[in-house]
Order: sequence, then structure tokens, then C-alpha cells
Amino acid sequence: MAPSVTYSEQELVLLLKQQNQDAFNYLYKNYAGVLYSVIKKTISDDQTAQDVLQEVFVKIWNNIGQFSAEKGRIYTWMINIARNASIDKLRSKGEIMKAKIQTGEDAVYSVREGMKTEQKTDTIGLKAAVHELKPEYQAIVELAYFKGYTLDEIAKTLEIPLGTVKTRMRHAIQLLRKHYSN
Amino acid sequence: MDIKAYIESGILEAYVLGGLSEAERASVEADIALYPELLREVEAIEAAMENYAASTPIEPPAHLQEQIWSAIQVQQRADSDGMHDGVPPVQQPVAESAPKVVAFEPPAEQAPKMSWQRAAVWAAVAVSVLTNFMLLSQRNKINDEKAAMAARLDSMQAQQSHMLAKVEAYEKGRSMLADTGMKTVVLRSAQPGKDMTGMVFWSKGTGDTYLTIHHMPMPEKGKQYQLWVIQEGKPVSMGVISNDLVANAGMMLKVPMQVQNGQAFAISLEKEGGNPTPTEVMIVGAI
Repeated sequence: MAPSVTYSEQELVLLLKQQNQDAFNYLYKNYAGVLYSVIKKTISDDQTAQDVLQEVFVKIWNNIGQFSAEKGRIYTWMINIARNASIDKLRSKGEIMKAKIQTGEDAVYSVREGMKTEQKTDTIGLKAAVHELKPEYQAIVELAYFKGYTLDEIAKTLEIPLGTVKTRMRHAIQLLRKHYSN
Repeated sequence: MDIKAYIESGILEAYVLGGLSEAERASVEADIALYPELLREVEAIEAAMENYAASTPIEPPAHLQEQIWSAIQVQQRADSDGMHDGVPPVQQPVAESAPKVVAFEPPAEQAPKMSWQRAAVWAAVAVSVLTNFMLLSQRNKINDEKAAMAARLDSMQAQQSHMLAKVEAYEKGRSMLADTGMKTVVLRSAQPGKDMTGMVFWSKGTGDTYLTIHHMPMPEKGKQYQLWVIQEGKPVSMGVISNDLVANAGMMLKVPMQVQNGQAFAISLEKEGGNPTPTEVMIVGAI
């Protein structure tokens, strides 16, 4: 492997503010995979997902000047840009018609499938590490984080009380936190 | 406010996951600003979700990198030129319906003039944009060249000062060799199989001492060489040798400490900062 450098969060911000191709290549090399997987969790169609990835990079590029470290980590900021762009795309009806994006109904359907068959993880696309998250927990986390559902919408879609949505959501994230802190 | 109950309610999770309404969201943001415990909790939730989201990176197709970079450049260029959606097409006024009915009417007369003027304006704008772009890229090129020249000048200056220091060291060595009051002490390896050497120039009259070393390996981390003079059979430290000297073999170092008498010089390997007595002697030479 060629010798490479890695940058801290702060250094990355400075690097991106240079706005040159080296900075872009570093950004792409290190973050395209993660951002694309975030997008793909929302949008199943490859072509649409790639369009969104381009939008996301352009947004990061244009808005890095306004990014301030006081508001949080640049990694969080970039992931949120990817989530918001994906959810916006998902919601624009035209795109759903055109690109056959996995709709909310599909998502719920596949989540319910998951509940029935315990582990149909390929359709949900989760890593082995997260298997321990029960399907009913997964459903809530994925609908909220990747599909942009509000608590109300989740309660109605999954036909469970709002209070249950909240407690399950908290419990699921407790499990994730414990898992990743190891 | 009961922070613990607030955290346990699950509202922060819902906040991070984007499950709250606008109003709820604003209220949570206000609370976070007030209570640092809440901020820490939010950050922990964010970190967990980021790990979750990033747990299966999917590599996008390889050609995308190039494509996205061109998209960024095109858009940046458009921004810097103050242009938006490119040059709009020159207007084609009413040509479709008008001539059909009134063939000889002159409404077309004013319109083509307009379109001719528009075309001229757009052409002028295009030329100006093109010129600006050319000038800009020319300027960038000149700036790049200037930076490269400056870097070369810097490295030449560094080389020159390095060479001057070397010349000075040789000069000094030569004059010291010629100085009859100056004793030359050759230090030889005390470690079998290693051809480390050193030379100490010592002026008995003034007590000035100069040192050069050769073939001495760079000490491992946490270790340094230390210089000793043996007086009445006892080693007296003359200081710890900086690793710069080890890296620049042959450089002449003026030892800050003056030596009035002695029977031998020695260099030993010690822990960083030195020891009160030598532990591992590397080179030694009798006066």
C-alpha cells in the first residue's frame, strides 16, 4: 500500500477549506463508503443513490466554509447531510415513481418480514455485529434514522403505542452504545 | 429539571434519530444548550448511530469519484464567474405563428434587432467570461510557479548554511591540528565488532574542548550518549550529546564545559538526560 497520511477532525476541516483536489480525494477516499451506505439504507435504487451521493459531496464542499467545530463533529455533520439529502429524495414523489425507491410501505413490509423470519438480514442490510438488536427494535431505529419517520408515524405504521416506540427506541440505542463501547 | 428522568424518557434518542416534530425539536435544542449533561448524552447517541450507520460501508462505483469532482469544479467555476444556468438561447420571437397569417407585416423587424442586440451582449459577456477565466488560470499558474521557486530558494539556502557549517568545522579542525597547544585525542570503540570512533581536540591552556564522532549509531528511544573526562581515575561528566550530532557525523561540537586536566575521554550510552556515572562505554581514548 502507498504511504498515506491521516487527519484528525480539526485537520480535516482545515484541509477541506483549502478546496483543492487533494482535499477532495482524501475526503472521497475516506468517507464515500460510509456516506454511500447511509444513503443506500434510505434509497435502494443504485442510480438514485449515486445521484444523491454526488449532491451530498457538493453540499459538503459548498458548506464547509460555514461549518464550525463548536456545533459538533464534522463526521456527524456529514452523515446528517447524507441522511437529510436521502430522506428529501425519498419524499419527493416523482422520484419514487421514477426510480422505484423502496417506499415506506416496502420498508415496513421488509421489517415485518424480518420479524417473522427472525434474521433475514440481507434484506435489511445489517452487519453481524448488530444482529443482537431484535427486529422490532431495528424497525424503529431504521424507520426514524434512515427513513425520516416521526415517532407518531412509526407508532401508526407499526401499530404500537407511542410510549412503546419511545422506550424501544431508547432501549435499542442503549444496546448499540454498549455494543460500540466495547 | 430532573436531568435523569429527562434522559430516561427517550426524547434525546428521538431527537438524534429525527423523530420529533419541529416544536419538540426546538425545545430539546434549547434544553441541550442549557444543560451540558444533555449535550454529552446526545453526543453519545450520535456516536452510536454513526457507528451503526458506518458499520457496513458500501463502496460506490469507482467512476463516481471523477464524476463528482468534475461536478464540483463545473459548479465552482459557474459560481466564481457569477453565471448561473449558462447562456440562455437567443430568443426566437413569434416566428412560428406570425408569418403564417401576415406575410408582409413588419412585426418581425423589431424583434430580430432585439435578438441581434441580445446576441451581441451575450457574445460580449461570453468573451469577458472567457478572458477572465484565462487570466485567472494564468494567474494561478504564475502563483504556483512562484511558490515552487520560493521552495527551491529555501532548500538552497538551507543547503548553503549546512555547507558553511561543515566548512567551518573543517577549518577549525585544521587550525586545531596546527595548534601545538592543542592535543588531539582519538577515541576508539570499546565494543568489539563496532567501528565507532571519535576525536577530541583539547587545549590544555584554555580548557576548550571540541568533539567529533563517526559511525556511532543513533541511540534508541529514551537513550543518549554522554561525554566523560577521566580525572584521577574518576569519570566526570561533560554533558549529554544531542542526537543532532549523531545524525550529523563529522560535525565539530564545542563542548560547553571546560576541562583543566584529565587522562582520558570517553563516550557512553546512557538513559536520556544522562547518568552520574557511565554504564555502557562506547568509545574511549587516552590523552
